Amino acid sequence: MSDHKAPISAIARKDISDAKRDRFILTITIFLVLAALASLLTGAIAMATDVATYNDAKATLLALGKNADTFAKPEFYPLRLLRGAIEQIEIIGAVLGILTGFRAAASERGRQTLALIMTRPVKQWQFLAGKLGAGAALLSAGLGVVFLLAALLLAATSGIGLSGNDLLRILIVWITSSFYATSFFLLAFISTLWMKRPANALLFSFIVWLLLVLVAPQIGDTLDPDNQVAGGVFKQLQVPKAEQNKIKASYATFETVRNDIEVSSITKHYERFTFAVLGIKDTYTGQPLGPILIEKSGDFFWIIFATIGLTGLMFSRRLKSNRLTKE
Amino acid sequence: MTDGLIEIQNLSQRFGKVQAVRGLTLSVNRGEVFGFLGHNGAGKTTTVHMLTTLAPPSGGTARIAGHDITKDPLSVRRVIGYVPENVRLYDTLTTRENLMFFARLSGISAPERRVNETLEFLDSSHLIDRRVGEFSKGMRQRVGLAQAILHRPEVLFLDEPTSGLDPMGIKMLRDLIKRLNNDFGMTIFMNTHLISEIAKTCTSIGVLSQGTLVYHDTMESAVRKYGDDTSLEELYLSITPVTGQGEAA
Repeated sequence: MSDHKAPISAIARKDISDAKRDRFILTITIFLVLAALASLLTGAIAMATDVATYNDAKATLLALGKNADTFAKPEFYPLRLLRGAIEQIEIIGAVLGILTGFRAAASERGRQTLALIMTRPVKQWQFLAGKLGAGAALLSAGLGVVFLLAALLLAATSGIGLSGNDLLRILIVWITSSFYATSFFLLAFISTLWMKRPANALLFSFIVWLLLVLVAPQIGDTLDPDNQVAGGVFKQLQVPKAEQNKIKASYATFETVRNDIEVSSITKHYERFTFAVLGIKDTYTGQPLGPILIEKSGDFFWIIFATIGLTGLMFSRRLKSNRLTKE
Repeated sequence: MTDGLIEIQNLSQRFGKVQAVRGLTLSVNRGEVFGFLGHNGAGKTTTVHMLTTLAPPSGGTARIAGHDITKDPLSVRRVIGYVPENVRLYDTLTTRENLMFFARLSGISAPERRVNETLEFLDSSHLIDRRVGEFSKGMRQRVGLAQAILHRPEVLFLDEPTSGLDPMGIKMLRDLIKRLNNDFGMTIFMNTHLISEIAKTCTSIGVLSQGTLVYHDTMESAVRKYGDDTSLEELYLSITPVTGQGEAA
């Protein structure tokens, strides 16, 4: 290993060992896994019932000597059942990112080990890179467990197998989720390293989390007239798409403001992208992956660039000596 | 400048309106055990933070084993070890894991062997597979000392090393400091506000008051001039004004 990489690897390995033994982080991760799986299980059981009903009906027809081909096979989209899991990751995944980031910085300050590390022949960027590497790896692993168990559960309980295309979609969503959670890791890690008191940094991170994860997307959704009626106003009134666009054009300014509030939140970008890729949103259900990725690349790159931007911010500022301890 | 292992020239540190260290000029020779004495808040820790490259000075500079702390901090870090006051290390990790981490950071080629040798030297091999979180203050201090000497530094900085230790722990640490100085030839730079520590451990003494060095001499010379330990205490009180305590870190 090169001289540059050795300290980064040492710091990352130490952080991973340390965090794996932290019961609090472990508890939050298990909670995220259980919450995601619980929301998936109920939908999977319902789908399994539908599949069984279809199979029974088909078997009855065949037993009666009738042609079952006339009995159209309903389309089942098991990935849509991941909606609940995605919503849990939006909220709890971001919390896990914040707590992991806070811990990565606060634990070094509280134990005075940050001062010990910075008196070894380690450059500041190597320390930060090691921390980021460990944080991203831990979050990716945690989310990997969520998606792996979700895929297994879907295959086992829904009665519908997952295709290679389905697994590819889950893989893309897992990578995106890892970037999403890492952005919250960076938010908490940077503020905990910079702010005078780590406790204030945690408070600040949760205020940002509240605004980005809960408030902004909610305001955007609440202001959307299409969300005021179950299934959508336009759908209920059976307004054609062309007419819908005409109506929306009359409220362009309102729609711009509403959309701007929504897109100020990384969570909304994450939701838009993952809902499209997994076909959770009706418009994208059953659609091929390629065109969806092209259409939603803006949302994907927003998440990536937010993470890269925060990474740049982290590397741009020198550690102050009076931040080497907890107070 | 003289040819000391630690050469400090006009070193200053300012935090806003507070002048924590004022134009400190000092030389510590190879093989010395230097006691840096001062009230709480006199600027001792600030000085050590600058010398260990943790904080850039506001003015002046210092060279450690020929390396400038501002121009070549990485080279300085290769020749120093540092034990902060109340070092805690990683509670969830074992002694071995803690020390392997610092050995890897120091670029030691055979870390496992060095960790074992160091613990053996400190009579602490029995602690190797125990988690640091279970340790008493004295045991932590020993592991803290182990991480600082893994790479056999030329200079060892100790910040209030006996703080919070019981009498047995203090005696053990005092013996270790002497052995490090004798067996490895390490130069020790020790911050303390306890005069008794300076008298029993150090070969030279510096007294800092309100960020200014007010006294610097060999221990032998100080004792010759001022008599026994009690007189040393009187010396300290006579040269350090009581006002202005706690202004600096």
